[in-house]
Amino acid sequence: MLLRMLRGYAFTIAGIAIGVGGLVTLGAMSERIVRFIEGGDRFVLGQISVAGRGMGMGAGFTAGGLLPAATLRALAAVRGVAGVQPQVMLPLNPSVSQFMTLTQELVLGLDLAVPMPNRHYRALPVRAGRFLREGDRRVAVLGASFAAARGLRPGSRLALEGASYEVVGVLERMLTAPDRFVFVPIQDAREQWVAKDRLLQTVLASGAAALTAADLNTGAAVGWKDGEEPDAVALRIRERVPGVNVQLPSELSGLLRSSTAFFSALLVGIGALALVIGGLSLANTMAAAVFERIRDFGVKRALGATDLQLAREVLAESLAVTLAGGLGGVALALALGAVLDGWAARSGQELFDFSPRLLAGALVFSVLLGAAAAGYATRRIVALSPAEAIRRGA
Amino acid sequence: MLRAAGLAKAYRAPSGAPIRVLDGVDLAVKAGEVAAVTGASGSGKSTLLNLLGLLEDADGGELWFGDERVGGLGRSAKSRARGRWVGFVFQAFLLVPSLTALENVLLAARYVGRPAAEARRRALALLDELGVADRRDHYPAQLSGGEQQRVAWCRAVLNDPPLLLADEPTGNLDDANGAVILDGLRRRAQAGAAVVVASHHPEVVAGWGAVYRLRGGRLEAA
Repeated sequence: MLLRMLRGYAFTIAGIAIGVGGLVTLGAMSERIVRFIEGGDRFVLGQISVAGRGMGMGAGFTAGGLLPAATLRALAAVRGVAGVQPQVMLPLNPSVSQFMTLTQELVLGLDLAVPMPNRHYRALPVRAGRFLREGDRRVAVLGASFAAARGLRPGSRLALEGASYEVVGVLERMLTAPDRFVFVPIQDAREQWVAKDRLLQTVLASGAAALTAADLNTGAAVGWKDGEEPDAVALRIRERVPGVNVQLPSELSGLLRSSTAFFSALLVGIGALALVIGGLSLANTMAAAVFERIRDFGVKRALGATDLQLAREVLAESLAVTLAGGLGGVALALALGAVLDGWAARSGQELFDFSPRLLAGALVFSVLLGAAAAGYATRRIVALSPAEAIRRGA
Repeated sequence: MLRAAGLAKAYRAPSGAPIRVLDGVDLAVKAGEVAAVTGASGSGKSTLLNLLGLLEDADGGELWFGDERVGGLGRSAKSRARGRWVGFVFQAFLLVPSLTALENVLLAARYVGRPAAEARRRALALLDELGVADRRDHYPAQLSGGEQQRVAWCRAVLNDPPLLLADEPTGNLDDANGAVILDGLRRRAQAGAAVVVASHHPEVVAGWGAVYRLRGGRLEAA
């Protein structure tokens, strides 16, 4: 009976599915942007990022000069600091614009002798293989988008600055910057840095500067002790350690948010557009389906159906129809998303985030709006006399 | 059983001018009686049946089903009164296209709280009696006009309503099917129902009911 009823509403269900599909697809793009911004925010609020002062080779959050070993020791000595992890952050392709720091592919060299100081990312989630270990050399762990774009997985080989690296792990998709990172041991990253930077090669060859490998750091992730205010610790570092650029976590978060303000506005626009387009399409389809049956309602009222009985019937049918249409729309959106994401993955991107809250929200929205539209149409119809309803539906 | 006094109804023309269709119609039909209402096209026959069946509100006048004054009831009360008192036979059959023949018949029981099993037994018996039992699972579009009217007839009498209103019940039927419906109306009247038939053709009820003519918005004996 239910299936027969739904078959009778096939076109209505298809119409609702298209509306909900559009809503979910646009919503998933919006969710994707939200996750990107939130992920970045979560990262920068979990650590104090310190870079050597100057215009150096580093990229991302550490675009500065050298951060020598002596400075790292000075950082560790500041009150409230819990851990200092030296890092080397390099653009994979230096010819790519340095302005796109949130989307560019980066090599991040980590000193595995120091535990990850980021309070929100004590360990990065590994989807396949393993993460880097202390003592590793010439191995790499890849962000999900980076790996997907190149078809790499654990066991694959990757060439970086003329050297071959074994891929030992691929991270879970985090929908934020690390998705496009290559993580390597810091010693390997230092070699890549020297290989990329002719000026550094010249300086090292001249012996003019007393540099050792341990001095080749673009930045450091600094953690704080329990009970310490991160911004206060960062300010203390700024006061007591000369020659560094230190970012207050709250400042960096604000900077990140202001730099993504366009995206935030865009996602609000996308969300509003999705609600309006999907909602109007759904409400119009459902109301039209009810108005189409105006003669049937007239006949039913002639047979004794009260307003309440009709309203209950219409509500039950509209719930079934909008739920079927909603599920169809979600399936449509997932299929469309899979196709488009498959295409975007070739360039290391992911366009959609079909989060459970989005899918559940779209279904609830469609069912409620469908019921409201059906209720409105029913109210209009029962306001007519049965004879008028029969006449209009003839 | 049915009593109408001074029923009046007017519609608005596109120009806004009122068109007075019924202008004080009096009619009384006792249980077991048949009344035929005739008149030219547009004389108001269907409007009168709509008012008598509470399908439309009168602009004036009173209406009683038995001792119950029903003209002034609210919308839902009118619906309940229709379910309890009235069976309709329409010229255009008015079956619900998404329901099978059997489901269309059972529709009459759905809204009056009649037990489903008993209603189903009665519906099947009626379909059998009218010779369309083998069509019970067919949809209206799969039935001929005569079959549709037989199904509609089964729906009209499923609850044994004390008042039957038939608007041009044979208008779209051939002679054989028309005879089946007319025979059904006569038998319902013999069983004690009050029957009102609106038709261009007064001869359809000739010999077994009173015949009235609608003219100038008033009902007069033919």
